[in-house]
Amino acid sequence: MTRPSGLALYAFLYLVFLYLPVLFLPLFSFNSGTIVAFPIKGWTLEWYRQLGGQETLIQALVNSLLVGLVAALLATSMGLFAARAYVRYRFRGKEASEGLVMLPLVIPGIIVASSMLVLFISIGIKPSLTAVMLGHTFLALPFSVSIMKSAFDDFDASLEEAAFDLGSGVVETFRRVTLPIVAPGIVASLLVTFTVSFDEFVLAFFLSGNQPTLPVYIWSQIRFPAKLPNTLALGSLLLLASVALLVVAEYFRRRSAKSTI
Amino acid sequence: MTEKNIIRLQGIEKRFGQFVAVSNLDLDLREGEFFSLLGPSGCGKTTALRMIAGFQEPTAGKVIIDGQDMEGIPANKRPTNMVFQSYAIFPHLNVGNNVAYGLRNRGISKSEIDTRVSEALEMVELGGLQSRGATELSGGQRQRVALARALVMRPKVLLLDEPLSALDKKLREQMQFEMRHLQQELGITFVMVTHDQYEAMTMSDRIGVMFEGRLVQVDAPPTLYAKPCNREIASFIGEMNFLPAELTAEKGDTLTISTPCFCAMTIEKNPNVEQTGRAIEIGIRPEQLEISAQEPDGYDGTVQGTVRDVAFYGENVHYHVQVDGVARPISASVPNYFHTVDYRPGDAVWLGVQSASVIDLGQNQSNT
Repeated sequence: MTRPSGLALYAFLYLVFLYLPVLFLPLFSFNSGTIVAFPIKGWTLEWYRQLGGQETLIQALVNSLLVGLVAALLATSMGLFAARAYVRYRFRGKEASEGLVMLPLVIPGIIVASSMLVLFISIGIKPSLTAVMLGHTFLALPFSVSIMKSAFDDFDASLEEAAFDLGSGVVETFRRVTLPIVAPGIVASLLVTFTVSFDEFVLAFFLSGNQPTLPVYIWSQIRFPAKLPNTLALGSLLLLASVALLVVAEYFRRRSAKSTI
Repeated sequence: MTEKNIIRLQGIEKRFGQFVAVSNLDLDLREGEFFSLLGPSGCGKTTALRMIAGFQEPTAGKVIIDGQDMEGIPANKRPTNMVFQSYAIFPHLNVGNNVAYGLRNRGISKSEIDTRVSEALEMVELGGLQSRGATELSGGQRQRVALARALVMRPKVLLLDEPLSALDKKLREQMQFEMRHLQQELGITFVMVTHDQYEAMTMSDRIGVMFEGRLVQVDAPPTLYAKPCNREIASFIGEMNFLPAELTAEKGDTLTISTPCFCAMTIEKNPNVEQTGRAIEIGIRPEQLEISAQEPDGYDGTVQGTVRDVAFYGENVHYHVQVDGVARPISASVPNYFHTVDYRPGDAVWLGVQSASVIDLGQNQSNT
């Protein structure tokens, strides 16, 4: 079959349009000039070196790691049980609840953020890292549920029955058979949900109070032109970390698909 | 095989909503027998097996294993073990750990577990393969691991759900014999679910045939083949020519009948079927018919016809013979003795049958 000519060019331009803006970030982070414009004056690692000494930045990084970790653990454990129920059982309201779990993917972030702020304050949770953790768990849940669902899809239900038949109780079956078999899916879900939380801005901006996460910190720094090259360097690192995490997550997700025989 | 009952199913019924999967199932299984539940897919045989295993609770009725009522006893506490259709080999464990899985639930010492695992693997001819990964096994090896993993638990009853359906034909035939030998050596009751009549007949001491949730007949394979209790079973197991017949006299265990083609015969009465009225149906297995160019001597019934189709199966040849007064051609199967196919479509032939080969199927229920 011959491909229509020009299709390759279209695909190439498509990718350029998608990724060129993102690639400007790392490119200018190595620029020795402080103005973000061509031509590039010279190459330097200075901006990266300066990052290490900024205490508020380190604190924001620690905040982000903490929020990401808690949100990933909460979302993944909830997603694990929800996904098993969705794949294994038929029950009343199953489809409605599956749809509702996926809803955070499409609700505008600003709506979620402002409603959560109102809700949290009314029940006595002040804007803080705790509030961000809860908000991010909500946002990460659809990712976790869909990753865990694909892990359970390839999981022969008779494996659990076999364990039960061989004398294991429910908890024992879960620990010795279910968990090890969906483990790659769990790792994938942890990495993806962590990344979702780590990169999230709107909710964190509304809910973090005086404990900024990394994206919130970056936003606050963009106002200062002198700090812009630092911000670019920081943003590049964030980009690199996210891509790396997602690549690893994909590796584990595929392993989970292959784990059943 | 002893006369002791190991499993008793009493009035078992299983409903899923409005759908009745199994209805009014009564069945006694003897200790040490190889029993098969045979039936087309969706007949309720797997549901019945799963109720014995404890994966499903009957809607009504009792499952009694070794004298103990199993109501409320979950699968992990029952003295049964199962070989699953998919084998359900734990993919994250090696062969040894798969087989040892159940023993580890019982608080048995490590050295005894090792001994029993290696014995079980020897038994299924996988000796020494303990460290082989589950994903590196062939289909036949997985089947053997599944057997070993269940048998190592020394269950009172081994349940097998279509254990051979995932294997190719050659391997399946080999495993049929191996499993039969294993069962006889161990003396454990095997209950197998299958839709394959040949599998059921070659392996089982007794077969229970199920249709649409009902257990229709329970008998040893030769009896099931020779004395099916209705038309459904007669056509499900093996091949059968169905012919209408008229009952002219009944005397003790014999019936005198007249048929549109094989003239009058006196045949044995089938105790498994209902006999009311004069219009009955008879069945003749294709291999019980003699086919020849001249009218054969020494047969109780003969008829002339025309060969319509010839089907060559290798080990035997099937001739479909059109006979006047019978709607469908009569199928006769002849062993392939000399690698020759003796008749061609259009040839005039004679069919002969002994009255002992004619099966009484009771009241004629067919419309043909």
